[in-house]
Amino acid sequence: MVSNPLALIAEVTHRCPLHCVYCSNPLELAGAKSELSTADWISVFQQAGQLGMLHAHFTGGEPLARTDLTELIGAARAAGLYTNLITSGIGLNEQRLKALVDAGLDHIQISFQDSREEAANWIAGAKTHAHKIELAREIRKYKLAFTVNLVVHRQNLDHLEDMIAFIENMAPERVEIAHTQYYGWALANRAALLPTHAQLEKAVAIVAAAQDRLAGRMRIDSVVPDYYAKYPKACMGGWGRRLMLINPSGRALPCHAAEVLPGMSFENVREKTLEWIWQESDSFRKFRGENWMPEPCRSCDRRSEDFGGCRCQAFLLAGDELVTDPACSLAPEHGIVEKAVREANASAPVARPVTSRSFVQLQLQTDDLWKYRTNPD
Amino acid sequence: MAPPTDSSQPRLAAGCRWGGTEQDRVILFPEGAIKLQGTGRQVLEHCDGQRTFGEIIAELQKQFGQADPGKIRADISIFLEQLQKKRIVDY
Repeated sequence: MVSNPLALIAEVTHRCPLHCVYCSNPLELAGAKSELSTADWISVFQQAGQLGMLHAHFTGGEPLARTDLTELIGAARAAGLYTNLITSGIGLNEQRLKALVDAGLDHIQISFQDSREEAANWIAGAKTHAHKIELAREIRKYKLAFTVNLVVHRQNLDHLEDMIAFIENMAPERVEIAHTQYYGWALANRAALLPTHAQLEKAVAIVAAAQDRLAGRMRIDSVVPDYYAKYPKACMGGWGRRLMLINPSGRALPCHAAEVLPGMSFENVREKTLEWIWQESDSFRKFRGENWMPEPCRSCDRRSEDFGGCRCQAFLLAGDELVTDPACSLAPEHGIVEKAVREANASAPVARPVTSRSFVQLQLQTDDLWKYRTNPD
Repeated sequence: MAPPTDSSQPRLAAGCRWGGTEQDRVILFPEGAIKLQGTGRQVLEHCDGQRTFGEIIAELQKQFGQADPGKIRADISIFLEQLQKKRIVDY
């Protein structure tokens, strides 16, 4: 028996009013028709509570696209879970926020794309920035944990100081400065998103200074992007070790991107219990522990810290999910990441056309720079 | 931010709450949970936003009769300051 998972990631829908170019959702999105029903999700939360899981992280897509979200939050809370809503805020107004808080929402995390309206809307591919600012004000009326999430990359890192000052005004307890992870749409747009070394170094210094200055008011978490790190990230805290993700159609995944892995099938919560999936399924056992590990992981002192990195990234970059994550400087396939980093540093970051007046104009101008995330049917 | 003063009223920060079972009590917060046993649990159970830091120290000094009262105060002050930096406690 392995110990039970600590938290559930409930990816309740892939529908989203934003089209962020750094989205890590899969390129093949699940449509509304394939989504789990309200009753299916309630059963998932009850099982999670019985398994002793502590947190339910609601994500998507945009979770608010589900009209039954208040009911789902209520059910998760009733099952004993700490409820966290990861959202763009689009679809939320005063009444709906109040209803969510009344249903037992513990924590809300809102993402911003930039501090400057035009740039933010350009990255999101939607005109949403102003609404988010209004919403942040509304959130502070409640006794609710509030985190602002800032996804950073080549196009906005040069303004990090301004963005932190912008967030400070909203007075969240926490700020997450999340470097883009290259999966899904972000991987397709990597050349436009991967920062330069100089950008990154400057950002690290800015974050350290802000952490110092804001200690006790805002907790700032930031992790170096894995393309620039010496060792890979401990993806999901290890495969099948702490977290279980349920995707919109009910498949249980050990990693957000797991469905890209060839030849693997994932159990559906419509057919199997969470406990059985966690303990018995081939998919959750496949890369659990150390038996699957190749060299240099197998004899590496860090194998119990980073678990060989991310299996999906190994497949996406090296074409083989059985090799060490190429983000690791010790990986035989590390050259793949070095090449991407070299290319990112060969030219200065692209100047963005933020001076255009109309949003439509912006989208037209930047068509060749990146692909906007689409929406499922 | 400074350590708590005698008139501070320590409490769990917004969105942080008790959870788990009576035997395994935890503080739940956005990015995780801390299991609290023994002294840590006792201290936080006193942090109800009503009692002042001065009162909490006095009560706990009484309970831990043999220990050095100065050390009790210093330890609890550091404990609360650390949790405040993590945004789990406010005072």
